[in-house]
Amino acid sequence: MEMQKTKSPYTNYLHAIEYLYELFSLLFTAFRNLPFLKISPVRTVFFRQIYFAGIETFGKMVVIGILIGIVIITQIINLVGLGSAVLTGKILIWVVVRELGPLLAAIIIIARSVTAISAELGAMNVENEIENIEMMGIDPSRYLIMPRVFALTLSAVMLTFYFELAAIFGGITVTSIFWAVPFEQYAKGMLSSLSITELSVSLIKSLLFGMAIAAVSCSQGLKVRKSITQIPQAITRATIQSLFLVFIFDGIITFIFFV
Amino acid sequence: MIKLECASLKGFLECASFSVSDGNSCAVLAETDFEKNLLLRVLTGLTGLDSGKVFIFGREISSITYAELGEVRKKMGVVLNRGGLVSNLKVWENLMLPLAYHASLSYKDTEEKMMDVLNNLGYNDDLNMLPGPLPTYKKKLLGLARAILMEPDLIIYDSVFDGLSSDIRNRVLEAVNAFHEERKGRVSLFLATSDGSVKDIKADSVYVLKKGNFHERN
Repeated sequence: MEMQKTKSPYTNYLHAIEYLYELFSLLFTAFRNLPFLKISPVRTVFFRQIYFAGIETFGKMVVIGILIGIVIITQIINLVGLGSAVLTGKILIWVVVRELGPLLAAIIIIARSVTAISAELGAMNVENEIENIEMMGIDPSRYLIMPRVFALTLSAVMLTFYFELAAIFGGITVTSIFWAVPFEQYAKGMLSSLSITELSVSLIKSLLFGMAIAAVSCSQGLKVRKSITQIPQAITRATIQSLFLVFIFDGIITFIFFV
Repeated sequence: MIKLECASLKGFLECASFSVSDGNSCAVLAETDFEKNLLLRVLTGLTGLDSGKVFIFGREISSITYAELGEVRKKMGVVLNRGGLVSNLKVWENLMLPLAYHASLSYKDTEEKMMDVLNNLGYNDDLNMLPGPLPTYKKKLLGLARAILMEPDLIIYDSVFDGLSSDIRNRVLEAVNAFHEERKGRVSLFLATSDGSVKDIKADSVYVLKKGNFHERN
């Protein structure tokens, strides 16, 4: 009699660990291949990705940042009133720099670049283009993966910075215009709460988010085999997994620094 | 330069052997596209054998590292039947890719070299477009130009004469023959599925891949 195979409860955990190891290996290989950025075609891919992931997203990121800043400052004033400008500035900095800046910038990058990278690599796999590149003696991990990983990571850091700047600017402008609160009062509150810790947390988060997003999107794109129907599946998986990893990293870093 | 020694791969090769010496040109006729593509994959190290050995430039490609395999591939040119161009690179970027990646030539020298090869092949279309909308024969010409630019010691043509008009076929044939004779010791390997595909080429030997073995045809 054939024994019925039962799935071990630990199988999912093992798959998750295996997948994390795979992502870590991809990042490790990307770091090892960093010196190959001096090769002209590799550099071209890097700058092209910076353009798509960073520069093209910049305008939208700034607009969303300003709007988020306005929304947050409005809610803070509703909560604590106009009396304490220092406290209002402090809350704005805490919310934007510590949490929402890196998180929302990452979500916008996921919406824009994860889909693009996983679809592009997936389509290249379906059309055998990655193998054709290999046949020319070009290592795809150097030519396709490494520039994408670093371009996306750098874009995440820069976009987070601009997002935070835009959000703070939006908040200050709105309070100055609609509630006639002098700019200096807010500046004082903000400067007093903007410490190295705040800036480091924001930088660490955006670096980790960028690397995680790049690793997931490249990994899922490369997993597409010979069927075009696998491309939308890869995009969906890459999007969900990137979001999941971003929230996990966000929780861990917040816990480490602020608990 | 190419040597298969008792190569076995389940459902494809059964202790098959063949070799092509330096300076020779050889045609291999497979029964199906699948077999032809699999042979190309074996020769380029993309598919490993179950047993047996593949020697390219005297190196057994299954026992070398990925970086060493890259060095071997650098000296090989592969002209694929659909061109094998990268869809997100413009035509000129496709042509320059291997040369710019491997060689340390200046942009100007690379461009001059590219234009010479394209002129010889009679290709005069827009080089700034993406390759997607191009007809297959133009992609094939570009694939040939890209391989020639690298001046490889071994060049593999994958059904390169299929689907060409007689005029273009003659032009390609002329370029292929001239390229073979240009350097002493260069090896040309033509992979095809029918006699018609290789009828005009100057092959020193012709093998037929049948039932997992290579049979030399006189």
